[in-house]
This record gives sequence, C-alpha cells and structure tokens, in this order.
Amino acid sequence: MLSSILGLSPYVHAKSMTTYDKAFKKIEPTIAAVQEHMFPKGSKLPSAKMMNATQFLFETITHKSFDKDIRAFVLEGAEELVLREKDFTSMTSGDKEKALRAYEETNYGSSWLSRIMTLAMEGMFCDPVYGSNVNESGWKAINAYGGFPRPKTRYIEV
Amino acid sequence: MTSRKYDVVIIGSGASGGAVAYTLCKAGFKVAVLEKGRLLKREEFSKDELAYCRRDLVTPNLFDEYHTIEEKVDGKWVATPTYESGWSFWNGNIVGGSSNLMSGMLHRLHPDDFRLKSKYGEIKGANVVDWPISYDDMEPYYTLAEELVGISGHYEKHVYEPWRSTINFTQPPTKENAVVKLLDKSCKALDITPLVTPRAVLSKNKPGRDACYYSNLCGSYGCSSGAKGSSREALLKPALATGNLTLMTNSYVKYLHTNQKEVVSYAVVVNTITGKEKKIEGKIFVVAAQAHESARLLLNSSNRYHPNGLGNSSGELGKNLIFSGGGSGEGELHEDSLKEIAFKDLVTTGLFVNRSVLDWYFIDHWWDGKFKGGSVEFMFEHQNIITRARKNGYKNGQLVWGKELGERLVKRFNTYKNIRFEIFNDWLPNDNCFVALDPTHKDKYGMPVGKLRVEGHPQDQKVGNYIAKKCENILEEMGAKNIYSGVSSSPPQNLVAGGCRFGNDPQTSVLNKYCRSHDVKNLFVADASFMPTGGSVAYTWTIYANAFRVADHIVKRLSGNTVL
Repeated sequence: MLSSILGLSPYVHAKSMTTYDKAFKKIEPTIAAVQEHMFPKGSKLPSAKMMNATQFLFETITHKSFDKDIRAFVLEGAEELVLREKDFTSMTSGDKEKALRAYEETNYGSSWLSRIMTLAMEGMFCDPVYGSNVNESGWKAINAYGGFPRPKTRYIEV
Repeated sequence: MTSRKYDVVIIGSGASGGAVAYTLCKAGFKVAVLEKGRLLKREEFSKDELAYCRRDLVTPNLFDEYHTIEEKVDGKWVATPTYESGWSFWNGNIVGGSSNLMSGMLHRLHPDDFRLKSKYGEIKGANVVDWPISYDDMEPYYTLAEELVGISGHYEKHVYEPWRSTINFTQPPTKENAVVKLLDKSCKALDITPLVTPRAVLSKNKPGRDACYYSNLCGSYGCSSGAKGSSREALLKPALATGNLTLMTNSYVKYLHTNQKEVVSYAVVVNTITGKEKKIEGKIFVVAAQAHESARLLLNSSNRYHPNGLGNSSGELGKNLIFSGGGSGEGELHEDSLKEIAFKDLVTTGLFVNRSVLDWYFIDHWWDGKFKGGSVEFMFEHQNIITRARKNGYKNGQLVWGKELGERLVKRFNTYKNIRFEIFNDWLPNDNCFVALDPTHKDKYGMPVGKLRVEGHPQDQKVGNYIAKKCENILEEMGAKNIYSGVSSSPPQNLVAGGCRFGNDPQTSVLNKYCRSHDVKNLFVADASFMPTGGSVAYTWTIYANAFRVADHIVKRLSGNTVL
C-alpha cells in the first residue's frame, strides 16, 4: 500500500517476481515452439499463437491457485528439453516431431508434454476471460459451448 | 465481558448443518453456524470450468490443509499426504458446503437398509449392524426434506421403492432429453424397469428460488437460479430471514472445550483470514463438518476427561468410515447408427436424463444367490469441455497433436454423445476403513490432519461388477458403441459417511439414536457420520432427513428446559 503511494510499486512487484520470471523468460521460446508444434496453423483447431497459449500458460501457472510443484515442473521440463535438443526452436517441423517423440519415450518427458498439452487445452477451451480462447474460437472450432452465466472475472475473484 | 452464548452452535454449513440451523431458527432459538469457507452468493456462481472444476478454489489448497491417505502397498500400509497425490478429500468448503455442487440425484434408503444384518446376516470381514431406528422413524423427515429442499420427481410403484406418506412429489420432474425414449424402450426390451430419478433441482419456481434454467452444467457447479436444493439456498437463507441465525464465515474450529466431564462449554475458533482466535459459547454443540472431518474434530478435542477424543469412551470414534461402492460405465451414441430418436435432439444441451434403475437393489436369484445389490443412475457424460477434449488426446499411449488432434476433436464433439451410468452399492464397514489423527502431519492452523485408511471389502466390488454387466447390456441394447465400465476399489471422496456410529449400546457406538454423544450430553453429530451402514444410494437425502430428525429432538430438549 505504502509503496504504491510512493510510486514504488513497479519495483516492489518486479523484485518479487524476479527469479521465476527470469527463468521463464529464458525458456519461453522453447515452450512456445512446443505449443506451436502441438497446435500449428492450418489445423481445424486455432493455432497456439492465435490462442496466446504461452501468455496463458505463464499467467496460469503463476496464479496462486496453481500447484507449486507443477509450476516448477513446467519450467524444469522445458530446460530438460533444451539440454537434450540444443537447437530445438530452430529445428524443422519434422525434426521437432522426432525430438518430441523421443522425449515422450522417457517418463519424465511424457508427463511434461502431457502437462503442456493440458495447459494449452485449458486455455483453448476455458472462458475467454482468461485471455486464451480468443473470440471463443476454441469453442467455435469444435462447436461446443459451456453454460450460463459466464464468469466475469478470473478464478472467482471479486 | 462474556461473549454471547448461543442456544446452539453448529460447526459446518452443509446439508446437515443447514437443516439443523433452519429448524432451530424457525423454532425461535439463537443459532451460530461456523463455516470454514467463504460465502459465495448465487450471483457469484458461474460455469467457469477452470475455476470450479480444475483448481482448488472452493476447497482448501492442499499444501495448507490436507489428509493423509493410507493404502496397502505390497502388504504394508503406506500413508501419502494428499498434497503429493493431488487426491483431495475436500468437497466444497463454502457456505452450504458440497450441497452447492452436487448433481442432486437422490433416493431414500430402503426399509431393509435399516436392518441389513437381520435381513442378510453377517458378512465375514464386515462390521454390519442394524440401525437403532427404522425407516418408519425416518419417513416423515424424508418427506419434509423433499418439500423444503425441493426434490422433484415422479413416484412409480416398484418393489424396491420404499413407501411414502404423500402420494407424489409436489415438484414434477425436470425436463428430459429425448434420449429417455431410447433408454426406456431398451430397458423394457430387457425386462428392466426404468424409474424417474428424484432430483434436488426445482422444475417449478418456489418462493425465493427460480426453476431450473437447464444450463448444461449442473453437477460440480453452483446454481444461478436457486433451483438446486443446496443448504445455502433452501435452508440457510430462510434461517437468516428469521433473524435468529449468526452465520460466521472464514471460521475454522480447532477443537471443542469441555471443562466439566459431560458438557462442551465453547468452541475454539480461528479466523482463517486474520488468524485471530476466539471462543464461541453455546448450550448445545452440533458437529456437521462432513463425516471424516467431524470425527477428526472430536479426536482433536481430546482433553484430560476424554483422553482418546471427545465422546470416545467406546473407542469407536473414527471407526467404520464408509464411502460408496460401485463404479461407472459409458458408451457412445453415434449419429450414423442412432435408433429411435433424431441426432439433433440427442445433442440438445441442458436437459436431464433422469432415469434410475432399482431392479438390483436386492438380489434374490436361483443361480446368483441372495445378497444386497445397489442402484443405478443414468446420465450423459459430464459436459465439461476441457475434460472431454483432454480425455480424447491419446493414441497407442502417445499424445495426439497437430492436425490429427484437430480432426479428432471436431469428430469427437460433433458426431456422437456419450451416455453414462453410475452404480451405487454398499461400501461395507470394515476394520481397515477409518479416520484417525496423523501422528506427524499438521494443517496450517497447527492441528493434526486426518489420516484415512480406505480399504473396501471384496464383496463391494463383486456387487458392483454384477450390476455393471447388466448396465452394459442396456447400453448395448441402446445401440451404443465402445462400451466400457469400471468398478473401482478406491473410495469416491465425495460420498463419505460413518465414523461416529449411532446405536443403543454406549460400548459399541459413539452416538445414541438421536445422534447425541453417549458421553457428552450437549454434543450432537448431525452429518452422515452416524450411519452404521450406508445403503446403496447417494447419501444427501438421508443426511437432510436425519438432520431434520436430530433438530426436532434438539428443539424438544431446549423447549423442555432439560439441557444442562
């Protein structure tokens, strides 16, 4: 409260976010590349890019309602992928497929990919209030709609 | 300064707490309800799948509050904290409790459920006993709950449908999907009798509550018209209107204090937001925190007069915890092979299936034998979109992604719809299903957490499988494809009862027949804890009914000035 009056809030905020935020920023291109491989353009589903999948993932896993162990796992699994495949982001689609399928052969990789898939689907098919499922394009693609009333805020926050 | 002393202090605001509060407030007594969670009002409930179904927002964060679950691994009991497994045993910690989130497919128990031991005899390895009351004692309260909570339905005579004192439900059934035409015809072809499911959802307006608006997402969600018969809508609101109810939210009860041997004098309550502790005094205390938590609270209330837990001279406190046996199955109704009804009617959203089968509630067959069976509910697969989409994402153990995933999901959501059945049969009480205090783990308030050992009896699975086969036949007759069913030995955490058995003998039971502690004269347990055996239907109607019965008794005692 005091810091916001003094105009310090951006600094205080930034400081409390640093460690995880920094680590995420570093690995973000890898996560985005995996998501785009899973949800490419030209599919019957909207693409990861169009869905703001990476932004949604970041906001979701850093929300207080998200399991803190899984929050760490999302990061670590991406770092592990980079260890295995140094140039993942610049690979061709065919090489990415091979790399991810090889990663999926390991238990660790399989559960990480499964988590990335779950997070992407959560975004694509939850209410647009969360920033993904832009213009309900996820719902429209499969012709499935939830129910009313729709949420006005994220996470039942007042 | 002394704090205000309430006539009745109720711990928990779910189905039973609401029923006791309603009755006492209407009778003019001053009541305090202590609820650990917050108040979510009708207008705050939305159909937000992410918030309500995929995150712990209406239940505690498992790193703050949890249970340890004991299961047998290679012959040894191993306890795993739920923050590790993610297997939450919380069911709705908000005002109204899990009754806000129920599907509301309810049945009364059968008269023979009250005398299972006399009727079916001992079962080896199971602690089956008769109840100290009969269905006739409970019937008026089932009827009262039906009216007050607002249970809609249509009575049809059936050999396993218990007698009722009114001719029919005052609320007609909710609207039904065309699939019932196909389901009814298929059942009849197999000589099975489909019955209309009584449902705690209003089909017509009631004062202060609007009829169901068929939102398509009912179970697991709060209701936005007040149609669902939650404790909050049906009981706490009218109780508040009397002016006699003090509803304290964000109030976690650490333990109950007794300074005399046989009397609880106050509850020690911590505000979950400020962390401040206070004492709430009352003449009568009613524990209604859901079975496993009610037993835990009494165990955590041990003191020098009650070294093994409050009201535990029998040693039975926490023992004979029960869940519900059974399982579920599904089949796909495809557009290209659909019989009897039009596909567009099948995929119409919102309407209910509303069908139950009680034909196998008791089995007495020349070849299969004579044993207690169970009930079956029919419904569509839950309409959550994320869950349905995610479930469809594997092929040969590998994730499906890319264009193939797109093809698959479009097909999944547009060419077929899954019909589902759920089986409910007795979870036989046994020595390896109980709640105790964990010796090391504590919640964020510093209180030992409940340790649940959750083994079922082999008979439960046998019964479940017997019924599942018959249900698969129905789906097959309906023309469903890819039919499968699963009968599980792990407990459904939302269907929990027992732990404070009622009975006439203080040596073998925790509560007397009015659900008052044998040891502590002003302590009642009003939730499903009292049940020595569970019956073969969801518990909620019986919880409501029994809590009304207990509340009636408390009113009589308070009116007769016989307390203390």
